Amino acid sequence: MKKIIIAFIAILGTSQISYSQDCEGLVKVCESYLNGTKAPGNFVSDGQVYTAFLDRDKSEFRTTFYGGSTYRIVNSAGKEDDYVIFTIRDLQGNILFTNRNYKNSPYWDIKVPKTIPVTIETELDMDKKVTGCTVMLIGFKKN
Amino acid sequence: MKLNKTFLPSLLMFTIVLTACTDEKPKDKPTIDEEINDPDASMNTSFDGKVFSIPSPLQTALLIKESNVPFNEDLLNNVDNIDLYTTEMRQALNLGIYGTDLGYAALYKQNSTSLKYLATVEKLTNKLGLEGAFDKNFMTRFEKNSANQDSMMLIVSQAFRKSDDFLKNNDRKNTSALILTGGWIESLYFACELNQASNNPKIVERIGEQQQTLKSIIEILEEYNKDKANAELISDMQTLKIQFDKVMINYEFIEPSTNEAKKLTTLNHKMEIKVDTNVLNEIRSLITSIRKKITE
Repeated sequence: MKKIIIAFIAILGTSQISYSQDCEGLVKVCESYLNGTKAPGNFVSDGQVYTAFLDRDKSEFRTTFYGGSTYRIVNSAGKEDDYVIFTIRDLQGNILFTNRNYKNSPYWDIKVPKTIPVTIETELDMDKKVTGCTVMLIGFKKN
Repeated sequence: MKLNKTFLPSLLMFTIVLTACTDEKPKDKPTIDEEINDPDASMNTSFDGKVFSIPSPLQTALLIKESNVPFNEDLLNNVDNIDLYTTEMRQALNLGIYGTDLGYAALYKQNSTSLKYLATVEKLTNKLGLEGAFDKNFMTRFEKNSANQDSMMLIVSQAFRKSDDFLKNNDRKNTSALILTGGWIESLYFACELNQASNNPKIVERIGEQQQTLKSIIEILEEYNKDKANAELISDMQTLKIQFDKVMINYEFIEPSTNEAKKLTTLNHKMEIKVDTNVLNEIRSLITSIRKKITE
């Protein structure tokens, strides 16, 4: 009985560590798109890491893109580049960009001449992955 | 309580199944969980808390520098104040403030000031258990690149991102939120004070643009206010919001243009921001008072 309890705790612990490591690994993947390793250009991080555990639903948040900057949005949810769909809208709900139209590209640059508050919505592409950790990073550079 | 002999093995199996459920689906054989096609299946989302975003305070510091407003060291929070910060809340808020001071000084290539603030940031991160983000490697890179504005911004923002990641992974999201809030307060304070001295329309516009960010900050602070620790700060922010709600924003959507080859979309909307002088003065007075409460 004691052994079973220990095994149970060990498995539970391992799954937690694995979850944390998975998310941490995704941060590194996203970083490589910001720092010029996997995509041209070097972007300054906004200093935040956006993580959500998605299970057939969407994560959404608001941010402001300042005029005179180009932003790079990077997403990852696993070893393949195309698991995540992200959509950027203005506050009226108009779609400004979605990577759905571009083979779920893991990153995209948004040139912003005038400041705009936006919502960014992320979801997993259900044909490829149904549940798991997603990480997004936002970087910027001057136009 | 005696457990049924079959209970623990069942629990073990359940855990294994639960763990397996989080694995990725094989790429070559995409499968859809039957539940997805079941209209009665629950559509739960297990978020890692709510997701919030605050623009980097470095962007406002950058705008100030590009507006040719001279560096003003008197605006920075005195490094000697660090001994006043004995609670985690004050340490986190002031880490955001000192971090913005560091970025501001670094952008103006004020090397001796930058190093002084770097040492202060390091002390506060140690107090908060964030040594990993501002480690020896960071210090070496910072000192080596102190003459290069772009590298400095990259290095400082990477260190803050590392802190943010560490705090979120360790369920210290309130601390993360307070650091972001401190950074935002300091950058707004800079913008208000420097505009007072230079009366610069670009800086006025940047102040008005904070309307949406302030809403997000209030939401973050409320989300992590379970023990009411953030109550006073939230109340101050709500008072500030009353003034920000008076900022006039006219927006017109225009279809963006996309260059697929460059993976680049250019936004084409129109946006006009008007901030009345009285509102601007009120915002300046309120942010000065909020900052004073935090720093002194």
